[in-house]
Amino acid sequence: MSRSTTVPAPIIAAARASVGPEPTPAAAAAVGATKVYGKGDTVVRALDGVDVTFDKGRMTAIMGPSGSGKSTLMHCLAGLDQLTSGQVVIGSTDLTQLNERQLTQLRRDRIGFIFQSFNLIPTLNAAENIRLPMDLAGTTPDARWVEHVIATVGLGDRLRHRPSELSGGQQQRVAVARALASRPEIVFADEPTGNLDSRTGAEILGFMARAVVDLGQTIVMVTHDPVAASYADRVVFLADGRLRGQLDHPTPDTVLDAMRNLGQ
Amino acid sequence: MLRLTLKNLAGNRVRFALTAFAVVLAVSFVVSSFVLTDGLRQQFDGLSAEIVGGTDLMVRPVEPDFGEIPSLPGSLVAEVAATDGVAAAAPVVGTPDNAIRPVPPDGELISTNGPPQVAVNWVDDPALSSFTLVEGRAPAADGEFAMDVDAAATHGFTLGGTYDVLTPTGTVSETLTGLTRFGADNATLGATLMQFPTASLQRLTGDTGVDSVAVALADGADRGAVQAALASLAPGTEVIDNATLLSEQQDGFNQGISIMGNVLLGFAAVSLFVSIFIIYNTFAIVLGQRTRELGLLRLVGADPRQIRRSVLGEALVIGIVSSLLGIGAGALVARGLTALFDALGASMPDMALVISARTVIVALVVGIGATMISAVGPARKAARVAPIVALRDGAAAGTSTGRVRLAVGTLILAAGLAAGGTGLFGASGTATVVSLLGLGAAAVFIGVTLVSPVVAVPVTRVLSWPARATAGVAGRLAGQNAGRNPQRTATTAAALMIGLAAVTMALVVGESVKAELRSTVASSVTADYIVTEPSGNFPADLAATLDASPEVAAVSGFRYEEVRTGAAADEIEVTGARLTEVPALFDLDVTQGSLTDWAGTVADPVAVAETEAVRLGLAPGDTVGMDFGSGQHRDLTVVAVFADEYVVESPYLLDLSTWDAVGASDADDFLSFSLADGVDGARAAELVAGLTAAYPQVDVDTPGQFADKVAGFVDQALTAVNAMVALAVVIALIGIANTLALSVFERTRELGLLRAVGMTRRQLRRMIRLEATLVALFGAALGVVTGLGFGWAAVIALPDTITETVAVPGTRIAVLVAVAGVAGLLAAWGPARRASRLDVLDAIAA
Repeated sequence: MSRSTTVPAPIIAAARASVGPEPTPAAAAAVGATKVYGKGDTVVRALDGVDVTFDKGRMTAIMGPSGSGKSTLMHCLAGLDQLTSGQVVIGSTDLTQLNERQLTQLRRDRIGFIFQSFNLIPTLNAAENIRLPMDLAGTTPDARWVEHVIATVGLGDRLRHRPSELSGGQQQRVAVARALASRPEIVFADEPTGNLDSRTGAEILGFMARAVVDLGQTIVMVTHDPVAASYADRVVFLADGRLRGQLDHPTPDTVLDAMRNLGQ
Repeated sequence: MLRLTLKNLAGNRVRFALTAFAVVLAVSFVVSSFVLTDGLRQQFDGLSAEIVGGTDLMVRPVEPDFGEIPSLPGSLVAEVAATDGVAAAAPVVGTPDNAIRPVPPDGELISTNGPPQVAVNWVDDPALSSFTLVEGRAPAADGEFAMDVDAAATHGFTLGGTYDVLTPTGTVSETLTGLTRFGADNATLGATLMQFPTASLQRLTGDTGVDSVAVALADGADRGAVQAALASLAPGTEVIDNATLLSEQQDGFNQGISIMGNVLLGFAAVSLFVSIFIIYNTFAIVLGQRTRELGLLRLVGADPRQIRRSVLGEALVIGIVSSLLGIGAGALVARGLTALFDALGASMPDMALVISARTVIVALVVGIGATMISAVGPARKAARVAPIVALRDGAAAGTSTGRVRLAVGTLILAAGLAAGGTGLFGASGTATVVSLLGLGAAAVFIGVTLVSPVVAVPVTRVLSWPARATAGVAGRLAGQNAGRNPQRTATTAAALMIGLAAVTMALVVGESVKAELRSTVASSVTADYIVTEPSGNFPADLAATLDASPEVAAVSGFRYEEVRTGAAADEIEVTGARLTEVPALFDLDVTQGSLTDWAGTVADPVAVAETEAVRLGLAPGDTVGMDFGSGQHRDLTVVAVFADEYVVESPYLLDLSTWDAVGASDADDFLSFSLADGVDGARAAELVAGLTAAYPQVDVDTPGQFADKVAGFVDQALTAVNAMVALAVVIALIGIANTLALSVFERTRELGLLRAVGMTRRQLRRMIRLEATLVALFGAALGVVTGLGFGWAAVIALPDTITETVAVPGTRIAVLVAVAGVAGLLAAWGPARRASRLDVLDAIAA
């Protein structure tokens, strides 16, 4: 297997071609992404040769039933997990070529995260949590941008509160603000509304969608909720570690239909 | 539930090991104290048996209840030997340890800090002698002596050689005629054993009598009858049998061993106390982490009692297992302590490893007891966990300190201070005082631990300022983590506090003693030189030698003796010196009368310390009656009252004319002298060189040198105390590592999140190390504050003749705190490494 830091153009082109006709520049891509757990009889192919790209300035949802490999794909894309074979690219950086320290810096400087729960450091207040990646990097946050982000997610009066003093929805809003504050190239969201009631969840999804439209943010979101997926510009479907289809401009109904078809 | 208990233990080996480790340490120190003293006791019991040997009966003077033990007339030996039923009788003449010292061929004296140098009279009759000739012949005439074969080899004495020997009556030349063996295999435990002909030894010690008469019974003799017959030979004698002699000999050694054992047990108790904090903390944290699991148990039907029993059951298993491990570890620690003592200069005999049933029982009681006591609180708290907790998401940011805890802490603290105060100033009797002080100190520590969470947050905030300023977000997070669970931080820090409080107290007391000494030397000592003899056998003729020297203007030896005085015939120690010379040597701050103006008019003068003079209303011209150990009585005339009681160290200062007249001990304790006017430095140096050549056993120091030397002793004592306290500090550091390891485990998700959003491994390690440093510094700060309080109280409570000013060694304490911080940093090494190696995904999913 030959490896290089920058991905040759033909590979990206091939990846693009494989997912659709729209020639939007890619923020991230997986090429032949394969992840195998275990050995011999107990071998599990969590990802089995996935080729997919994620467009810049769009929100893409990754869907699929439990065990489809959607979380594994996201973890590999975000530099939290390593592929068994294949390549993962953020911008023009091949993640498979990076060491642990470089991966950490990549996550810190170029990626934003929103998890399902436990997004915040309990000892830091909301403002400190939002600034955390930049503090870790030792960079000075762009104050106007951070203010803009905070205003966008509507947290102005809660900045001095500790996570334990915030509701679940408020905590997720802080998480969204943190993910956006450092202007990452791409934000990965893992079931961001999974722990929230539907009204609060809709609020959070609204913020995320607005970040895409207003701020031009690229977001990749793993979800199993068709309603959440309908906030995305595009949905890619995974099953048994393989890419099984995609849907542009989804609605809850079209997503549900596509999900049903996956089963057959 | 038992199965669950055992499964819990098996399933969480790391937690189990961390908890058990603290118990093992605590038990091992207790065990090592016993193993060490039991080993020593066994050795010295063997030694006692060799010393007593084949002596069936012993005739000796009855010990008077006051004064010196008289010696027996040498003629008694023949009378004893002539008694019916006596097969053989031999005189026993001994000398105090190190009174007779052979000078090795290299001229370097054998140290008096280690095993003693002992001279006894040679006894031909093998039944009555502990010594057997190995080589050469027995010493028979003046100028001949024998020595045990190992000491001779160790120190380079060879058969037929002639050596200088320092004796109470001066230095003599002696020829080594024989090498001997003590008992069966010369188990001298490192002592140097010499034998001289009886008459020769009597001459060297200046006492023509004998200490006692050893008797071997004839075959078939009636022991009781012989005993009675011997008892009536001379008035004031008693006759004891072999068994009594042996038990007395053993008791003598055992006293010393017991003192050492008690000191070791004292330190073990401190270690145990520190360990209880750690064990408690570990249980509290582990159970805190298992809150959801406990909630689940309650949810599926476990009642609070079952939960409590399960937790206590775990504690019991941990207690038993770690006590057993602690016994093994204790044996190793005993070996380590032996090596440590050896390194510190006290040469220790080779000992068998003695693990008695008592040791095992105490170890089990201590280990299981400490574990159960530590587990009671956490178990109660665990039993109160509500079933609903199982359904909640855990990981709270912090806890607050309850008012009840604060109130209880304040009460315990107050009780501790009251007990300590009573112990220091109110109570009498060593046992009462020691137990009051121990309980008081323990209560103060517990009280401070309970109260200190209140200050943990602000203090760690202040302490973390440099970290926040320099280490960025890692420093800020470290500061917040340290203040996050104030109770946990306080308990972890408390363990370190105890050790540092002990060290700080010792430093304050030591510094105060040294400061007092230096200020006294500066203000009260006018002598040019102070002469001391470390082993307590001051050469008797040194004063006379100096008297004869034209360079010396004033000289006086200083002696101490017990006398009885006053209506109640109280036994007190008095000092003897040449009164008229004293003003040229020491400025005693005479407030009434004069130390010199009595000559020719007063027969038995005495100077009285001001406090005593005020107490008894004494003024110059009054008389004080004293009974001396020799049986004589004198009415002494007060000639002066002095205010500086530091030098004389007793309320009465007598003149040596009286001293000699009543036959009090003629051994000086120390001596000081002043040079005549016009004696220059070169001549003084010559004089001192001549003195140390003629009397190699003495130290001649200027007051400044003397102060430095005593300060050196104080520092040595401090080092020994600190070495022992170091054990407690090590346990405390393990406690910090333990708490951090558990915190890391508890915060796995949080650490994973930090790593996910871009914290580097280095930043993470730094964060955890800084947290440990902060906890350590917090403990050190608590310890220093508490220790300063203890030290202050101790100095106030000490007699003014030792010290009356409180001096604080600022630099040393600062170094101590810095070392504690660095130690905290090192303690975090493992947990930090482990945390930085967490797999990010696993951590988030945890």
